[in-house]
Amino acid sequence: MDPVKFSLFGLPGVALLWALALAAFAVFGWRIARLIGLLRQGRYENRFDRLPRRLGHFLKHVLLQPRLFNERSIGLPHFLIFWGFVVYALCFNWALIRGLAPFLPIPYPDEVPAVALFLDVFAVLVLVSLGVAVARRLFYAPPHLHLSFDANLILSLIGMLMVSTLVGGAARIVAEGGRSAAWTPFSGLLAGLFSGASRETAHHIVAAAWWVHMLTVLGFLVYLPFSKHLHLLASPFNVFFNASATRAVGDLGTPGAKEDLTAGASRWQELTWKQILGGFSCAECGRCDRSCPAAGSGYPLLPQQIIQKVKDHVVRHGLNGANGNGVPKLVGEVITPAELWACATCMACMNCCAVWNEQVSVIVALRRHLVSQGEVDRTVQDMLGNLQRYGNSFGKSDRMRARWAQASGLKIKDARKEPVDYLWFVGDYASYDPRCEEITRKTARVFARAGLDYGLLYEAERNAGNDVRRVGEEGLFEVLKEKNQQAFQKARFQRIVTTDPHTLNTLRHEYAWEGARPEVRHYTEVLDELLQGSKLPLRQKLSGRVTYHDPCYLGRYNGVYDAPRRILGALGLELVEMPRSRDKSYCCGAGGGRIWMEDAEKVQERPAESRVREAVALGGVSTLVVACPKDLAMFRDAVKTTGNEGRLAVKDIAELIDEATAEPEAKPA
Amino acid sequence: MNIFVLLRLAPDTVEELEIGGDGKSLDADILRFKPNDPDEHAVEEAVLLKEKHGGTVTVAALETPEVDDILYTALAKGADRAVKLTGDLGAAQSEAAARLLAGFLKAGGPALAPDTLILLRSQSIDDLEGEVGPYLAEALGLPYACVVTQVAPAGGAVKVTREFSGGLRGEFTLPLPAVLGIQSAEKPPRYVPIAKVRAAMKTARIETVDAGAVEQPARVGVERMYKPEAAGRAVMIEGAPEEVADKVVELLSKNSVI
Repeated sequence: MDPVKFSLFGLPGVALLWALALAAFAVFGWRIARLIGLLRQGRYENRFDRLPRRLGHFLKHVLLQPRLFNERSIGLPHFLIFWGFVVYALCFNWALIRGLAPFLPIPYPDEVPAVALFLDVFAVLVLVSLGVAVARRLFYAPPHLHLSFDANLILSLIGMLMVSTLVGGAARIVAEGGRSAAWTPFSGLLAGLFSGASRETAHHIVAAAWWVHMLTVLGFLVYLPFSKHLHLLASPFNVFFNASATRAVGDLGTPGAKEDLTAGASRWQELTWKQILGGFSCAECGRCDRSCPAAGSGYPLLPQQIIQKVKDHVVRHGLNGANGNGVPKLVGEVITPAELWACATCMACMNCCAVWNEQVSVIVALRRHLVSQGEVDRTVQDMLGNLQRYGNSFGKSDRMRARWAQASGLKIKDARKEPVDYLWFVGDYASYDPRCEEITRKTARVFARAGLDYGLLYEAERNAGNDVRRVGEEGLFEVLKEKNQQAFQKARFQRIVTTDPHTLNTLRHEYAWEGARPEVRHYTEVLDELLQGSKLPLRQKLSGRVTYHDPCYLGRYNGVYDAPRRILGALGLELVEMPRSRDKSYCCGAGGGRIWMEDAEKVQERPAESRVREAVALGGVSTLVVACPKDLAMFRDAVKTTGNEGRLAVKDIAELIDEATAEPEAKPA
Repeated sequence: MNIFVLLRLAPDTVEELEIGGDGKSLDADILRFKPNDPDEHAVEEAVLLKEKHGGTVTVAALETPEVDDILYTALAKGADRAVKLTGDLGAAQSEAAARLLAGFLKAGGPALAPDTLILLRSQSIDDLEGEVGPYLAEALGLPYACVVTQVAPAGGAVKVTREFSGGLRGEFTLPLPAVLGIQSAEKPPRYVPIAKVRAAMKTARIETVDAGAVEQPARVGVERMYKPEAAGRAVMIEGAPEEVADKVVELLSKNSVI
């Protein structure tokens, strides 16, 4: 019996379906068109490059969703609900077309045995998944999961779809005298419910279940673009247009931009369309908040809130067409400066975001606005002034940049005067920070022992600008970049090696080069290669248990995880991993200009302190090995503030290599 | 209000200072210049006054190398006009500089507009006496106050707060026009992003005004410039209080103090 062949109050079923479907699709289409209209009011940036790569990224991360599985309790359930949705959405459209055009010579989807089986099995899988999802919300919700009524309503609606399918399937078995039972095993289990019903009644139940199902979907269609389930429509596009699908992770460039974006965004229309789309895509899952070191320390930043506040602001004021009067300021009122300045741009949030949002780019866009208004902390202002004037954040003369070498009589080539293989871009901390100077000298000695042909830019080197850019001072970043590029043009070198991972990141991805882009490597990569190739002979093996901290800009930003670990192995050390390692590494809190800021208020536990405690808790590990000068400064400080002096030593990996490769007599007694 | 800010670059002490070959001046080869902190405060105070009371801010400086940078930066911060005084300036010392600046300020007529306020640094790292302000006020026949930390114009006068050593403060009222030596602005100088300075360089223009030549040689000249010389030695006296007292008495009597 065809479910549309009945009359309600004299209205034929087909007509009723037409009316409801048209109404639902009209509301849905109207809402979506308005949301797209909002996107079009954002600033343009080109995210249409390298479409095949984007498609590959889309297929992997939308269809397989590996990032969902980074939280085991919901990974598989979400995967099943997603695929259930895909199957059901296809069958809904099929059933709708058949219902709207009963003359078509096609069956309903559940009349095709294989499809019926699929629907039957998925109904149960999805129901079980929904059970897990509901239980997770009710009984063991992870922190920062947004426990909204919205979410529960959506889960109920999905449940309704599954139940109506199973009930319809069960009634169909009775109505058809058990013919299709083999194809719908789970409906078969429910068929007993209707065993007492006549075939006539069973037919009515089938039709009723069909209508309940169709009406629920149509209702869902209307509700969806008004709810957090907008993510279901927006996030596939968000993944497709993600920046890192075709560019380096965390790249802040906006190719194709038609306006000057360096002054940042003070109004939502000054965000790019992709940044607005990110808000529509957020599923409120809280992964980013859970991974955020600023949030973990009790700073006012929650990355999810940044995205959500932008979305709410855009939807509320954008759809009203409100402009000016009565619209709160995006920066200052909707989002406070304290939230924005708390970010260390460590990439933890973006690394775990299941819909591939770009929180850091939004934060930097809003920071740019603050900088353009001169609203920066006193300490940051001093640093920016120093960088403008001296090219380093320490406010020391640029002529002192290589003093660490000159003062100790190290003779290092000047790459501006003679050709070298490696140009060593030392960076501010390794050059100027008294805590790092000795380590920098040791690195130089290790390079020399390996016979590396290397040189420096001496006073021509400027801060590379990675953190300046992330503070939001784009103009100063450009100045520093230009000065370094001028220095590079005057020098002769094949490749670049850097000490600081932040420097590595910006030189590798954000600098323009005349001719071929030189290879830019971190010193751990170079030293790993030298050790592996036996160019750097070990004089004595080291022993002991150590742990290693992955710097954000080396790991998450540049994917270098193995080189430092291979070095530690080669030196003879036993590496004990911290629970948060590799791409789950916990930021020291220094990045994105944070190292220049002072905490206005006392925080629960600074990220670096949390990290030091994590290392101490490993037991039997006496050394925390780092590969970033800022880590050294942050963790040595945190060892003191957590009272772990004597229990945990913080050492740069270069110090360990120096120890293992030093001539025995050169070793201090 | 009609506000003038007079700017000047001073040696940057981040670099090691060396005495030049003439023994009377700093070695110009390694010398670098930067705006003085009080100069930046004077600009900030001027822009704050403009924001509060309206008017125009004119920044002016005698021509020296790199002085364009601070003029453009002041424009980016909110100044309306920038003027560079050129001419045969030589090494115009305080009094001569004040005369040149006074000549520029009086160019529009001998009497300044009644709402004119002239701000400059209270002192500079190479002019701790802060001589230019008083010389300028004298040349213009205007009242002068230095070490000013707050400025509140009211009617035809301006109320200022001056901060003296030992945390002492004083409030003074001066009739306008007046010359003020700024110690610090009411708020720390604002940050001006590079993009705005670059925009100012593209769109704004620095006016150049011929200031003529230094009329008379300096009445005070430098005899000799030298680095601080180690003088005397400190002696640490250790021991129990009685022993220390005995040694002090012994030292004092030995040196014929008692």
